[in-house]
Amino acid sequence: MRIDPQKIETLLEQVQKAPRYTGGEMNTVVKKWEDAEFHYGFCFPDTYEVGMSHLGMKILYGLVNAQPDSLCERFFMPWTDMLALMEENDVPLFSMESRTPLCDFDMIGFTLQYEMSYTNILAMMKLGRVTLLSKDRGRDEPIVVAGGPCAFNPEPLADFIDAFMIGDGEEVTLQVDEAVRRWKKSGAQRIDCLRALARIPGVYVPEMYEVTYHEDGTVRAITPREDGVPERVRKCVVTDLNTAYYPTEIPVPYTEIVHDRIMLEIMRGCTRGCRFCQAGMLYRPVRERSLEKLTELAHALEASTGYEEMSLTSLSSGDYTCLAELIRQLMKDMEEQHVSISLPSLRIDSVLKESLEETQKQKKTSLTFAPEAGTQRLRDVINKGVTEADLIEKVTDAFQGGWSSVKLYFMIGLPTETYEDLDGIADLAQKVVRAYFAVPKGQRAKGLRVVVSASTFVPKPVTPFQWEGQDTQEEIHAKQAYLKEKLRAIKGVTFNYHESELSYLEACFARGDRRLGRVLLKAFESGCILDSWSDIFSMEKWIAAFDACGADMHWYAHRQREKDELMPWAVIDSGISDAFLWHEQEKARQGITTRDCRHGCNGCGLQRWKGVCAYANGSGVQQG
Amino acid sequence: MRMAAVFSKDERLRHIGHLDIMRAMQRALRRSGLPVSYSQGFNPHILLGFASALSTGAASERELMEVTLRGEVSAEEFLRRMNAALPPQMQLVRCFPLEEKGPALMSLVRAARWRVELLGEGAAAIAAAVPAFLQQEEIPSIRKTKSGEKEINLRPWIYSLSADGGTLHATLALSEQANCKPDMLVRALAAFAGTEAPRMLATREELMGEDPAGQLIPLEVLLSPCEDS
Repeated sequence: MRIDPQKIETLLEQVQKAPRYTGGEMNTVVKKWEDAEFHYGFCFPDTYEVGMSHLGMKILYGLVNAQPDSLCERFFMPWTDMLALMEENDVPLFSMESRTPLCDFDMIGFTLQYEMSYTNILAMMKLGRVTLLSKDRGRDEPIVVAGGPCAFNPEPLADFIDAFMIGDGEEVTLQVDEAVRRWKKSGAQRIDCLRALARIPGVYVPEMYEVTYHEDGTVRAITPREDGVPERVRKCVVTDLNTAYYPTEIPVPYTEIVHDRIMLEIMRGCTRGCRFCQAGMLYRPVRERSLEKLTELAHALEASTGYEEMSLTSLSSGDYTCLAELIRQLMKDMEEQHVSISLPSLRIDSVLKESLEETQKQKKTSLTFAPEAGTQRLRDVINKGVTEADLIEKVTDAFQGGWSSVKLYFMIGLPTETYEDLDGIADLAQKVVRAYFAVPKGQRAKGLRVVVSASTFVPKPVTPFQWEGQDTQEEIHAKQAYLKEKLRAIKGVTFNYHESELSYLEACFARGDRRLGRVLLKAFESGCILDSWSDIFSMEKWIAAFDACGADMHWYAHRQREKDELMPWAVIDSGISDAFLWHEQEKARQGITTRDCRHGCNGCGLQRWKGVCAYANGSGVQQG
Repeated sequence: MRMAAVFSKDERLRHIGHLDIMRAMQRALRRSGLPVSYSQGFNPHILLGFASALSTGAASERELMEVTLRGEVSAEEFLRRMNAALPPQMQLVRCFPLEEKGPALMSLVRAARWRVELLGEGAAAIAAAVPAFLQQEEIPSIRKTKSGEKEINLRPWIYSLSADGGTLHATLALSEQANCKPDMLVRALAAFAGTEAPRMLATREELMGEDPAGQLIPLEVLLSPCEDS
């Protein structure tokens, strides 16, 4: 179907930020529709500015378009003004490249980066004229797939998504493409496509599994409905990043986006083992790209994009083995082109003073540190291997190096937290301020600004805290108020905290089961979209949706789960064993830390998969 | 050396604002590998100047910019390398070297030639009203400035205007003191014809300068009189 271009133009004249919808950016790929055998619509369920900042999209967009017979085009969530106009004027959600409606694609894929984007998935499907419920979708409609970190608990989306790709997408995406392409040609029923997909390693097809529940509402069993469907779906792992696909040409937007720079993924995974961190568990094992590969990619990307900034991304860039050498090399190579190099996730215990001095040659922005908790006791509980002395040393370095703006990230509501730990946050902020004033006046930059940011802890699947109940709203509000009062007294400190309601909802969906699909649909039908945007988010509507479906938010978020409770995501094999996670949970209770796995294998479970983790050895903790 | 480049901004990109176009051009220059010059200082940027900012919502066939280069580059090579580095919706049409010490392009602009397609209801009435519209000595209009709205007379800023079916052809003043944008013109026309302002699609066809005799001539001709454009 072709949409009248003038109709689209009429809408664009009426919206704010039309460049979100215009396309035509440098390095986008526009293939002729008829020339492609397979048409893939890659959907990012948030706005253009957010979605265009996402590395995974750039990788998969490049990968699919690199296949001669395949075409991949992008879709983003329209802002409310555009959404309303499109509905009023009967304009379906169209792709950025050829302005083709979503429903015309053979397959559409959503990336699941955070739970609060789920209503956007429904909104995009509805606007794109794709039937929402998987079971109601027709033969000619697209196959709907999803991947990304939230796919590790796919259950809340089980009613809507045909197939989930678990883990690294570089290889499995092409296998799924192939299966859908073959099915399209075959003329077989839709269910036959799902059957074929369920047999691809790393692909979870919810339709192929039956879920039963105990009387208390917890999951009793998740059982394959037929032979040949695996009991558990094992995540995909790309073992060698040097040979894995990485794009050398990425779309360069006209309008400013959140992360408007080259993202050079220097490694994947993290060996730290912070107990609250889902990404740290999901993206195991740690895999580094070689120095040679990275310099090669850096040159190619600089030349193809013209970006003036490059960030070295990973979960913990400071841990990259040859970081100092890499930075030195890139700074030297990029000097003539005036490309600045930045490290986004600066870990305070690993960044060499040297590399700080290297980066400061370029412009000085704010430095971010994430102690996460205010006392050593609680940092030991969460296994955040950072000490106060580390932090003060690093901020002192930064202040001496000419920075005057520092951000400190904390979480409140962590397991075992007491008000002493909140006092610890204020205490740490105070010490950072003192560290600034300890640098002689002539040597420090003017305008001290310490931003203390406190987010609300959300227990996530596949972490040692997956059994924990989240703090109630009352508890969180009291803690926020207490901290606000404490920090107000400190000069130079600004306190930021997020709406905890959103974290409450996030906690429900992060560990939710299939039955939340109805709640999601209800909430969407009552108008919930763009929930991660605080000016649009409506908790009232969500509460009403839970009530209407007879689902209990409190039960999902606050309940302390039993050791032997079958988790809704038990069907997904992340490689991390429950025995390891439980052991970590017990150590957390006792305040015992676990070493970085670079210093010795901790037996997280991945050692069972031969040749996957470079640091694996031994059998690890007792296997359940 | 200073190189002048004439470029187009297609309809598809008409909603991209001037600052975004400037940034896209800077990145294209970087991609091109041409020996561009950077400013001194903390955040070095490419030495690049636009003759005029094009309003968001308008397309253009011939925008003009100047780039300072560290070495000699032929116009042909500049054109070739830039077009390889630019998206198809934004391409160079022509380039030519500028006098080293010449004035900034922006200071030379006096007017612009526009083609304005009127779409939908009201277009015919507006086109029919053009001759009578031009007979007026005063055409009141509102100019938005930083300090608020100012009432102005548009008539002296309309150098020429004709209608051809639903399309207007106009040469309108464009300088810091006198600036008539196509939407101002269309609003004034609609008010005169007693109709609602229709949708419009404005395309800037050419920037104009002034020859020593005070006559409007294409800026490109003023800058490089010997070359055919």
